[in-house]
Amino acid sequence: MAERRKYKKRFCKYCEAKVDFMDYKDVGALRFSLSERYKIMPRRLTGNCKRHQDMIATVIKRARAAALVPYTVTRKTVVTAPFENLR
Amino acid sequence: MRNYENLVIVKPTLTAEEIQASIAAIEEVITSNGGEIAARDTMGMRKLAYPVNKNERGYFYVIYYSIAPSAISEIERRFRINENLLRFVTIKYDTNREVIAWNQLVIKANKKASLPAGEAKVEEVVIPAALEEEAEEAAE
Repeated sequence: MAERRKYKKRFCKYCEAKVDFMDYKDVGALRFSLSERYKIMPRRLTGNCKRHQDMIATVIKRARAAALVPYTVTRKTVVTAPFENLR
Repeated sequence: MRNYENLVIVKPTLTAEEIQASIAAIEEVITSNGGEIAARDTMGMRKLAYPVNKNERGYFYVIYYSIAPSAISEIERRFRINENLLRFVTIKYDTNREVIAWNQLVIKANKKASLPAGEAKVEEVVIPAALEEEAEEAAE
């Protein structure tokens, strides 16, 4: 059964760094948990623990409300180098 | 008294003085409702992630303050009336962990504010000298 597993066993990077609080204004730090289209990455792909996934979800939603991170990326607004324009 | 943080986005079409005036008005709203401003953080003019009211850019300004929770609704009402604001985001720092983070953010913002101020003073000294030289050259 171990062979059938699609993704290897992952660990929570935020737990390792002992992150207690995330700042929504720090867009560079959110990059890890965002896809190229600025979707929130699922826990099964990033390996985040439940606690930190909940934290990152609220933080990303705050950043979206503050126009720091886009809600959606359509064909019109898609950029070749994501995150570069937001710095 | 509870700790809060407010991020406001001021319209980019205003001039520099108008932006400063509207920021002063925003701070006045907070202080007049009994808030104590702990720190300010100027993020400056930057590109918005998506257009807001057909504006592509905005002037970002962050205020850290502590205020009675009942005053927040009044502050948000005043912000909604203000036509110079594109957006505002109010964040509450309530739990122990968040309060610690808030204190660190305040210290960070104050440090950032004190550093560029020193640099700006140096620039202010340099720029008038350069302008005077240009003026002299123009006079000659």
